[in-house]
Amino acid sequence: MMAIAANEQPVVIDLCDIGKSYQMADETFYALRELSLQIRQNEYVAIIGPSGSGKSTLLNVLGCLDMPSQGHYQLAGHKVAELDETQLAILRNHQVGFIFQSFNLLPRMTALQNVMQPLVYRLMPWREREAKAKAALAKVGLSDKAGHLPNQLSGGQRQRVAIARALVTEPAILLGDEPTGNLDSKTTSDIMQLFDDLHAQGHTIILVTHEQDIADHCQRVIRLIDGKLAADSRNSPHPDKLRV
Amino acid sequence: MQHFLHALLEGSRAALQSIRAHALRSSLTTLGIIIGVASVITVVAVMNGLSSSIRGQLDDLGSDMVTIRAYTTPEQELLGFRNKLRDEDYLLLKSRVKNIEDITATMPAFSMGLSVGYGRNSTQTQLIGADSSYQNVVRVYPQQGRFLSEQDDNKRRRVAFIGATVAKKLQMPANPIGQYINLSGDWFRVIGMAEKRGSLFGFDQDNYIITPFSTAKALNGPDNLMVEISYRPKADADPKLIEQQIRQLLRHRAKLASEAPDHFEFVSAEKTKQQLDTVFNSITAVAAGVVSISLLVGGIGVMNIMLVSVTERTREIGIVKALGATPQFILLQFLVEALVLSLFGGVLGLMLGYLFAAIIAFSLPSMPGALVPLWAIGLSFGFTSLIGLVFGLAPAVKAARLQPIDALRYE
Repeated sequence: MMAIAANEQPVVIDLCDIGKSYQMADETFYALRELSLQIRQNEYVAIIGPSGSGKSTLLNVLGCLDMPSQGHYQLAGHKVAELDETQLAILRNHQVGFIFQSFNLLPRMTALQNVMQPLVYRLMPWREREAKAKAALAKVGLSDKAGHLPNQLSGGQRQRVAIARALVTEPAILLGDEPTGNLDSKTTSDIMQLFDDLHAQGHTIILVTHEQDIADHCQRVIRLIDGKLAADSRNSPHPDKLRV
Repeated sequence: MQHFLHALLEGSRAALQSIRAHALRSSLTTLGIIIGVASVITVVAVMNGLSSSIRGQLDDLGSDMVTIRAYTTPEQELLGFRNKLRDEDYLLLKSRVKNIEDITATMPAFSMGLSVGYGRNSTQTQLIGADSSYQNVVRVYPQQGRFLSEQDDNKRRRVAFIGATVAKKLQMPANPIGQYINLSGDWFRVIGMAEKRGSLFGFDQDNYIITPFSTAKALNGPDNLMVEISYRPKADADPKLIEQQIRQLLRHRAKLASEAPDHFEFVSAEKTKQQLDTVFNSITAVAAGVVSISLLVGGIGVMNIMLVSVTERTREIGIVKALGATPQFILLQFLVEALVLSLFGGVLGLMLGYLFAAIIAFSLPSMPGALVPLWAIGLSFGFTSLIGLVFGLAPAVKAARLQPIDALRYE
């Protein structure tokens, strides 16, 4: 099934026979079934599927927010099932950058403080933290908004702050859960341009979406139906990218 | 350790930020603690001021004076005995006990209370028979006139040395020397008036009349010759040794069997002070215990608001967990927040307590400066920190245990 030959990049995500089930009253609900796939470094992946297909569950499993009920998952060489809560937190901090549909910025902190927040959980001096956060904000083009609170920013700017926050830890993967779901089409294309740029700079990006436009930006599209892998296909290079 | 300090620092930062964000709610939350600490500090300060003021008055009375007084045990009283110290005991001690600066005997006369008259005025007072050495032992000094002399005693003169209250109540002239007062039908000439001593435990210390020992003896009649003996040890003498010596002499004279209890007791300002301290300490402890309950209530208030805060910030907790905050970090952050809240209340309560104590000290002139001892400050801070930690623990554990996925979904 996984026939991605001629790719020498190391494997970042290795899912083997993953299942996720919930006990609901007297019946068991399967969100994911027998899912196996590998994602390599610097891949640009969209996970699509109708609602209830398990794509958000898969994203939570990939981001170590949720544990699979069965199967093995290795993230950047770490066997996730063997880690306790604390080790999982550390793994998330170092390897995963989350980008949420509703931005999930901390409301009482400025843009800069939000971006600095993940580094708080590392033993990093304030100065170094601040320097890295400023660099990340510059990368998403928001240097001039560092002192603003989230409610002083537009939706697109908030998502840029969230992306800077995801980037600042230099994670192995960027995970976007409908990152443009709350944005208008102009802002959506700006944000997607940013993702394209980040991919070009070597980042590994995985986006959950139900919009075909978004999926078209990606190199690889994984389609889920009823918790099962229904298709795993590669796009031809995006016309936008040809122009660059 | 480095991790812990780092987390503590960052936790405090986050805690202060969230307290500042809910300034009004935070202050209301700490109100219970503020009131609790303020009342502890006030009560302790007032008790302390009271006891130090009384101790000061006791010092004025002469803390090194010891009085020997007849003592009848309850068992003896049931059998109808009544122990006495007599003139002879005094003379024996005066001649035999070493290392004593001064020794004197006083004889309470008409101990049931005595009516004294001057002109048309009369008042109740107490009459003491004493010799000239009384002045040195008790340290009572004439403001006007003189104290009793040996001559007065030898000649059994009908003269009186009066306290300031007596002169005031009888409306005597400013200089009462030479006036005659009437004690149960006998006329006494006033030869001196004492300096004012003030009051102790609300008892007037200036309401007394002293006549010569021999005069009082004659007034009392032969059946009623009880004395109290007071002495002042020499400055370099061991008071315990003197007590021992006196005990042997008195017991020997009374021919007591070795197992019989003493028929007298030693009373000193030092001992009174110790007893007072015990009383005051227990009153302080009880009062502090009672108001500590309000601290407990304050602690429950902190717990309540912390639980609300955790629920309210569930989504935020989910976000920081996704960003990589460890359960320990979140636990510490909420603990620090509870701690800061209660310590904040502690500091405000301390200031408020000082203010109350100052107001009380100001409005009660008999209390010189209500002092707050260091231990009370330490105790309130220790206790409020403990309350913050204990009552902050449940909410903090709740926050730390939240599953990131559930917390993120929380609306």
